[in-house]
Amino acid sequence: MHTFILERPRDLAAALAFHAQAGRNDAPAEYIAGGTDMVQLLQEHVRRPERLVSLAGLLDGHIEAGPQGLRLGAAATMADVAVHPAVVEQFPVISEALLNSASPQVRNQATMGGNLLQRTRCPYFRDVGYAACNKRSPGSGCSAIDGENRWHAVVGTSDDCIAANPSDLAVALVALEAGVELRGAGGQRFVPLIDFHRLPGNTPHIESVLEPGEVIAAITVPASSTARRSHYLKVRDRASFEFAVVSAAVALDMDGGRIRAARVALGGVGTKPWRVPKVEAALAGGSLDPAVLRRAAALAAEGAQGRGHNDFKIELMQRAIVRAIETAGARA
Amino acid sequence: MTPPDAGARQNAAIDGDAAVRFIVNGRPAAVAASPLTRLAQVLRDDLGLTGTKIGCDAGDCGACTVLLDGRQVCACLTPMGQVEGRSVETVEGLRQDGTLSKLQQAFLAHGAAQCGICTPGMLMSASDLLRRTARPSRAEVLDAIGGTLCRCTGYQKIIDAVLAAATSAGVDSPPVGQAVGARAIRVDGIAKVAGTESYGADAIPHDALWLRVVRSPHAHARFALGDLEAVRRAHPGLEQILTARDVPFNGFGIYPDIKDQPVLADGIVRYRGEAVLALVGTREVVMRLADEVLPIVWTMLPPITGVDEARAPGAALVQDDRPGNLLMEGGVRCGDVEAALANAEAVAEIAVETPFVEHAYIEPEAGWARRVGDRLEIHVTTQTPYMDRDEVASVMRLKPQQVRIVPTACGGGFGGKLDLSVQPLVALAAWRLGRPVACIYTRPESMAATTKRHPARIQARFAATVGERLTACDVDAVFDTGAYASWGPTVANRVPVHAMGPYRVPNMRSRGAAYFTHNPPSGAFRGFGVPQAAIAHEAAMDALAEQLGVDRLEFRHRNALRVGDRTATGQVLHHSAGLAACLEALRPRWRDSLRHVAAFNAQARKAATHRRRGIGIGCMWYGIGNTSMSNPSTMRVGLGRDGTLTLYNGAVDIGQGSNTIMIQIAADALGLPMAQFRLVAGDTDRTADAGKTSASRQTFVSGKAAELAGADLRRQILRLANAGTNAALALDAAVLTVSDGETVRRIDLAALAADPDGNVLVGKGTFDPPTTPLDADGQGVPYATYAFAAQTAEVEVDLELGTTKVLRIVAAHDVGRAINPMQVEGQIEGGIAQGLGLALMEEYLPGRTENLHDYLIPTAGDMPLIETILIEDGEPLGPSGAKGVGEPGLVPTAPAILGAIAHATGVRLTRVPVLPHRLRAALQAKPGDRP
Ligand SMILES: Cc1cc2nc3c(=O)[nH]c(=O)nc-3n(C[C@H](O)[C@H](O)[C@H](O)COP(=O)(O)OP(=O)(O)OC[C@H]3O[C@@H](n4cnc5c(N)ncnc54)[C@H](O)[C@@H]3O)c2cc1C
Ligand code: SF4
Ligand code: FES
Ligand code: FES
Repeated sequence: MHTFILERPRDLAAALAFHAQAGRNDAPAEYIAGGTDMVQLLQEHVRRPERLVSLAGLLDGHIEAGPQGLRLGAAATMADVAVHPAVVEQFPVISEALLNSASPQVRNQATMGGNLLQRTRCPYFRDVGYAACNKRSPGSGCSAIDGENRWHAVVGTSDDCIAANPSDLAVALVALEAGVELRGAGGQRFVPLIDFHRLPGNTPHIESVLEPGEVIAAITVPASSTARRSHYLKVRDRASFEFAVVSAAVALDMDGGRIRAARVALGGVGTKPWRVPKVEAALAGGSLDPAVLRRAAALAAEGAQGRGHNDFKIELMQRAIVRAIETAGARA
Repeated sequence: MTPPDAGARQNAAIDGDAAVRFIVNGRPAAVAASPLTRLAQVLRDDLGLTGTKIGCDAGDCGACTVLLDGRQVCACLTPMGQVEGRSVETVEGLRQDGTLSKLQQAFLAHGAAQCGICTPGMLMSASDLLRRTARPSRAEVLDAIGGTLCRCTGYQKIIDAVLAAATSAGVDSPPVGQAVGARAIRVDGIAKVAGTESYGADAIPHDALWLRVVRSPHAHARFALGDLEAVRRAHPGLEQILTARDVPFNGFGIYPDIKDQPVLADGIVRYRGEAVLALVGTREVVMRLADEVLPIVWTMLPPITGVDEARAPGAALVQDDRPGNLLMEGGVRCGDVEAALANAEAVAEIAVETPFVEHAYIEPEAGWARRVGDRLEIHVTTQTPYMDRDEVASVMRLKPQQVRIVPTACGGGFGGKLDLSVQPLVALAAWRLGRPVACIYTRPESMAATTKRHPARIQARFAATVGERLTACDVDAVFDTGAYASWGPTVANRVPVHAMGPYRVPNMRSRGAAYFTHNPPSGAFRGFGVPQAAIAHEAAMDALAEQLGVDRLEFRHRNALRVGDRTATGQVLHHSAGLAACLEALRPRWRDSLRHVAAFNAQARKAATHRRRGIGIGCMWYGIGNTSMSNPSTMRVGLGRDGTLTLYNGAVDIGQGSNTIMIQIAADALGLPMAQFRLVAGDTDRTADAGKTSASRQTFVSGKAAELAGADLRRQILRLANAGTNAALALDAAVLTVSDGETVRRIDLAALAADPDGNVLVGKGTFDPPTTPLDADGQGVPYATYAFAAQTAEVEVDLELGTTKVLRIVAAHDVGRAINPMQVEGQIEGGIAQGLGLALMEEYLPGRTENLHDYLIPTAGDMPLIETILIEDGEPLGPSGAKGVGEPGLVPTAPAILGAIAHATGVRLTRVPVLPHRLRAALQAKPGDRP
């Protein structure tokens, strides 16, 4: 039976010493922060760690804005970040992504670190009644590829897993070229967020580059010419309190009616937060003419693969990009 | 399906339950709990603060919302470790020194609580906002309650209440003789807003054993059981493992002659989620025991997943004695359909497909039972105490008098709490063990195991001829009734009668058939198949109007059933057919909206944006009460020796407000103020059978019985006082004063002889609406009266993204008489929310959507502005002319929305829900559309 020990270490060093690892179902020890995802996973027996290490009170929760950009302590809540004046004014895409996430209740409790490491909403992953799920039990197969896969990813998939990364925040952050500060027993390292989540490949159960014992200490978002004119567009099946069917985060640097530089990332379609550099390159130097935008957005579909119920996402994500750019472009 | 909290509880034992100290509602508390135990559990189980509700235990519904250091959080997601040293506020803390807060008063005054199960969470979400912003904007309110679901109200009255909280004042109870028609507050409202109302899970005795059902993970399988006794012995605290063998009569079902659903499966399971075993023991042990530990050997069999497979020649049988997997067929025939089609000016052909829809009441099934001598007493959340009593007696092979059902408050039903759930299981266990036994379904269990709305496949042809007259209707409706019959026969019967819609159609052929599959049983859900059928007839009306080049509203108005018309079953409507009046009330707004929409779209085209607006209309009719079946109700009003006035009301209030309405009606019939009434509700030992809370029948049928009971008591009083019919009554403690002109008589009630209930006089009323059976052609009088309604919906569609936002709905309903207009509006608004869900988002996929994050119901932000127009075309049979309104609210909504989408986009969707990908696909398939 899956019994586990709850550790409540007094300081971060002690916490790191347990070699816990997030985002890996076979890791014997795992962290818990706000608990909004972890409590669920434990309850539903999706996660059965031997040891659960509480990060409560151990990590920085400050939100700092300066000329270098933004620094979000891993323990900052979604609610606090969403309404922070500097975030709202200088990085609106982050605020919008957060305000369009989850519920007010969850946002009051959930942390930045936990948000980036929340697990997929693939219903087969979250229901142990389905034996086949490579992410949950490596080597067991994938119930979604030939199953109900409307929610699933169309880019970054493998034959072993097509689960979509559910975080809205992460999509906004990769568009802004954010990075994460990791803290481990061996010290600190910095990883660009785009390299933080791993593609499923044939190891879908390993979701990030975190080593045992490592935690996210903070998120840094560099100041940039695009961040201020940024926007998050989320297409979903109901008005609030629902994950993205498809989402697009865009950030623009405009020179009059021309796009000097663009940053574009997609949510709901990728096995990880999905930045589309080719689309960005095609947009640079161009205008906001819809036909131009559509041509650029079409590049996002390169390599995309639907599995039946989710085929529609390939086209919808292009339209989402176009719409998000139009909206951001129209902003002062 | 192992219980969800097995892991967390396991830990509690290991970690050593150190005391967690925190502040609750301003007072310090210390609870021995593991840091991972969730706050919701501690509040409810350790501190007895059951005002905090558990609707999903997963962060998906907000019923458990409390304030943590002043900010709203889900108590079900909050581990105690995070609560240490902090301040928690629950609904119980809102009332100060017994006085309701302004917000609570506003909830009462606006009718914001229906079933009330979401109310504590709603109040806390709103409190978070109101403390920061005393006078919030509507948008801020929508944000603040965006994570708290309500399935009853459609949110409108909740939003109004929050907006009015700053200025709210109390509402006076209506004076004598003016209760009917008053916007009276709920008689059970204070408990609901104070958090003291007791639902199925709220008053379980401390010494109760717990029962957990082990359910099938397979849709179709045989199984063999190994050595259960060894398991029992290996788990101290596990008292019994109940199997099919332990059930005295192992079959139940709605119809007296169809008891096809086993309480516990006997060697074969027919749907995923079917009950296989019941573990009875201490709560810890039954919740902790994982299903893997149980020796069940499964042999999987191929499931029949839909009606096509079920109907295929040579298909395997879901139930051996049901050839062709056919449960039941019904039909109506009149006139000559073929001839009418051949001579038609216009013919519309429609094919509709709808999915399983889940009731998603926020309160999962819950209850407990105890044995009292040779009787069983069951406290349970239910819509139908009398049927529960008879069904439990049948399963237990007891006499009905040996079973007492005491309904708890019901946190939403919508048809889903008409079938048995926990009742036979806790009854069986309590009977065998001689101890109280409780069971609470988890959210996934509730969603997997209980009934759904029937998925429908409807083929319809409607014809019209010159003069824009409907001439023929030919409808074939096929329903997936799942593994067991439940209410399948009702749906198969009701739909053919309603299939032509609320219109005069001289030639009609309709057929309804329900087939068994290995899906969850389809049962009763607000409208019994009529909402599905309305999608077909309303799409046909739009198509015919278009072909004939007439306005969609005017076409309906021309063909509307009116007094004097004959329905397809040959019934002549003698009274109360207010569809034309509904349409007339909508007409000016309809014309305005058509203009606004056209202007908006012209502008949008010019600006090359991708948003288009459209307006649609839906009409409905709905027969009140059971189809061609006796469905009597009896009510009693007792006048006590001590001056108490009691309504003995066997009709269960599942949120729709029947408790209040019955008292309004009885009070006016008697001639005393409603404030003087007490209520005894539902208890089968203390009330008379009022029948089920279903088929929109309680206001019409039980309301009439309440009126008769009030009048009967009045007659008795007048006789006693020898007073004339216009005499005025007044009750002051145990003195009843009867004033007849100059003559005033005082009756000292304490001096009169009382019955065992303490009553000196008891008025009684019984009503059974007159109907006749339907013949082989479906001809007869299936219902005594019909509700009529029309709704218009205005939508904005994003052509590129495929999303639809409903902007405004205007609902005109002929309710006969609005006994309580506020509650009638509440029913309509709540119905509209469910209709919107049906149209745009709700789709239950067995095995994949058994929770409230994968199965979506509308949130506050999804709801349009709703304007309700009440038409009162009185029904002489009903109390003060009233008919029913429980189900009608939902029926026209989806058709109106689908019509509006068609108007906006030029594509007609007849498969619901219209999720973005379906709308996009339809737009792409549209000839001449850009990519
Ligand atoms: C009803 C509901 C709706 C939701 N809707 C949305 C939505 O629309 N969009 C969206 O983006 N999200 C949504 N979420 C997910 C929500 O955002 C996450 O649950 C939340 O952000 C997780 O944060 P937490 O602090 O509670 O993490 P926890 O649940 O405590 O932890 C989650 C994971 O992160 C790991 N972890 C946490 N912090 C660290 C750290 N500092 N270093 C290393 N590992 C760490 C844990 O080990 C665990 O694996 C929803 C959640 C719920 C319950
Ligand atoms: S998509 Fe991934 S998470 Fe979902 S079932 Fe397949 S392997 Fe598991
Ligand atoms: S019970 Fe906590 S959110 Fe549903
Ligand atoms: S009143 Fe909101 S769920 Fe019933």
